[in-house]
Amino acid sequence: MIPMTPTLTQYLVISLLQIVVVLGFVMTLVPLLTFAERKVIAYVQVRLGATRVAGGLWGAQQGRTHQSRTFTGGLNGLMWWLGRVPVFSILRGLPMFIADALKLLTKEDIVPVNADKAVFVLSPALAMVAAFTVFAAISFAPGALFYFPASFPFLGGLPFNGFLTDINVGLLFILGVASVGVYGIVLGAWASNSKYPLLGGLRSAAQIVSYEVPLTLSLLVPVVLTGSLNFNEMSTRMATDVPVNGLVGIGRSLLMFVGFFVYTTCGFAETNRTPFDLAEAENELVAGFHTEYSGMKFSFFFLSEYASMITVSALATAFFLGGHYLLPFGLQPVWNHFFEHSSNAFMAWTCAPSILWFLLKIFFLLFVFLWVRATLPRYRYDQLMNVGWKFLIPYTLIMFVIAALLRYAA
Amino acid sequence: MFKTEEMEINLGPQHPSTHGVLRVKLHLDGETVVRCVPMIGYLHRGVEKICENKTFFQGQVWTDRTDYVASVSNNLGWAEGVEKLFGITVPRRAHYIRTMLTELNRITSHLLWLGTHALDIGAMTVFLYAFREREEILSIFEAFCGARLTTTAFRIGGLREDIPPGFEKQVRAFQARFLDCIDEYEILLTENRIWKKRTIGVAMLNAEDAIALGVTGPVLRAAGSAYDIRKAFPYAAYGEMDFDVATQPAGDTYARYLVRLEEMRQAHRIVNQCLDGLPEGPVMAKLPKVLKSEVNEIYHAIEAPKGELGYYFIGEKGGVNPYRMHIRAPSFINLQALSKMVEGRLLADVIAAIGTLDVVLGEVDR
Repeated sequence: MIPMTPTLTQYLVISLLQIVVVLGFVMTLVPLLTFAERKVIAYVQVRLGATRVAGGLWGAQQGRTHQSRTFTGGLNGLMWWLGRVPVFSILRGLPMFIADALKLLTKEDIVPVNADKAVFVLSPALAMVAAFTVFAAISFAPGALFYFPASFPFLGGLPFNGFLTDINVGLLFILGVASVGVYGIVLGAWASNSKYPLLGGLRSAAQIVSYEVPLTLSLLVPVVLTGSLNFNEMSTRMATDVPVNGLVGIGRSLLMFVGFFVYTTCGFAETNRTPFDLAEAENELVAGFHTEYSGMKFSFFFLSEYASMITVSALATAFFLGGHYLLPFGLQPVWNHFFEHSSNAFMAWTCAPSILWFLLKIFFLLFVFLWVRATLPRYRYDQLMNVGWKFLIPYTLIMFVIAALLRYAA
Repeated sequence: MFKTEEMEINLGPQHPSTHGVLRVKLHLDGETVVRCVPMIGYLHRGVEKICENKTFFQGQVWTDRTDYVASVSNNLGWAEGVEKLFGITVPRRAHYIRTMLTELNRITSHLLWLGTHALDIGAMTVFLYAFREREEILSIFEAFCGARLTTTAFRIGGLREDIPPGFEKQVRAFQARFLDCIDEYEILLTENRIWKKRTIGVAMLNAEDAIALGVTGPVLRAAGSAYDIRKAFPYAAYGEMDFDVATQPAGDTYARYLVRLEEMRQAHRIVNQCLDGLPEGPVMAKLPKVLKSEVNEIYHAIEAPKGELGYYFIGEKGGVNPYRMHIRAPSFINLQALSKMVEGRLLADVIAAIGTLDVVLGEVDR
């Protein structure tokens, strides 16, 4: 099919469609992530509810004999029965998630009397907007996902891309917008006019500002190696740039491997997740910066945290794990060398970029987030700063220099 | 120009990690604790005074509610104290069963401590694992006396009932599993870098300070002093048991963690010995219907999970109630060490210190 240039209206319509699709995807993924978190942690911690509540919002509360007689009870039984099939066991625990969402929606929205009302209301929105705007520059698939058939009214023949915008400085945009999110936290904490949120907000500000530096520096490693800030180009170059000699290639992969762990560590800190969840350390600061928030305002913070988890995972995928290609750490050229012209259609397909790899890697990283949450204790504030400034920043600087040398050698 | 001032913050009484209703008034300079004042009394029920108006038989029910996670230990202290006051000799079989249940109770208490302490430091999985095993022991208590938490397990002079049929099997099933469970907690914590960073060198208390403050139990033993009443002044069947006193030299939170884990292992050993060597015979001594005391006073201390739990009784001539009763509560006395442990350190260490002291507010306030 010959790609045609869209007119301005067509362009606007198709962009709007894509925005709806991407936002819809993220907005579905984020609540599902909270659901996944509940289930993953339940499996790790032998919690019973989240892996057993089967169906019907009231089903869980009813006595066993009563269950089959009511509609919800019947639904419960049906879902429990379906759950025996391993794939459908995902249904178990779903009612908890629905009840959780309903609770957040219907909870009383309290604004403290002494709070700075305007800022108090604005800051969750700020956090949310920052977390979701980032997805404008994230590319889920490098090219067109599909083309509208020629017979399609108005949009016939146009591509539907796997990304919203293809910015040259995509990474810069993402880092810039994402770091606005901390204002939401700090302002929200300050506007609460309460002591625990204040401490939480200060911790958060210090933490995010400190970890932004090694985060960016570690992302610069692949940037220097490939010479691109663009999301699509990054993974493509990683997969197609064959290093001039094997030694440089090995060095590149090793560096990416180390860089990935450094980046993920910083990513955990950026998203306020365990073991760096000091800003909302329940056992120290009650609920940290969102102590005074309730209902949907609280869930805005909550959702933005999960959205930024997806962002961090997407960045890690694109910049370290090979993005839309199968193999991580720049190993794809080796794979392609052997299989690109393979007669086996499946093997040849694994050499091509696909949205599937991208999503699989994101999901795996999200799982790691939940896994770590269930496993590790929390750092102390001063230790967190030590890890950031005395360990991560020097290491990332060294990595940056090595990356530059490798680039020079290539 | 800029002005800095200390922030005064109330940690509790409603706070996720003050283990009940402890209120700690903190003066913070940034996140550094300048002054720390524990404020207590939110759970005061006047247990000691109430017990003075109850007969010796009735009073034991109130001891369930002081340290409510170690009620069996409290029952033992009360029962043995009263027995000492009246010179009652308890049958050997009753001693063995009491020892076994008290050691199981030590395990539940330490499990609760481990779970909440780890949760305070941010490791939430250990909490649920620990509660899984705790449930099992509570079911054992339920099989023995019908209650899970407020057990009133013993009677003055022995036990109300012998162990029920199937009880030994239930305990052995738990015993067979439990050592692996401790290993499971250890996998998550002992060599965990973050756990070590959060606990080593945190909330230090050396042996001199501990003794000067009257601190007993695992907190004292973790400072290097091997004082354990079970060894020093054996009671119940401890004189016939073979077990080690767990000690650590360091005196920090990590040392206390290791000591308590080792105590759980030793408790497991003692329970096994009790089961293996359980003598035959009656479980109740011959007692008059009403106990009437002489003018007398006794102090009886046992090694409760939290430390030295002492019962002090004064009897009056012909009295059916204690004339005066006092509980030397280990939680109350150990809590005094909190300020010493945390002043000059960070806010997060206060939480670790409260957790590592293992205070139960029901016992602090009584």
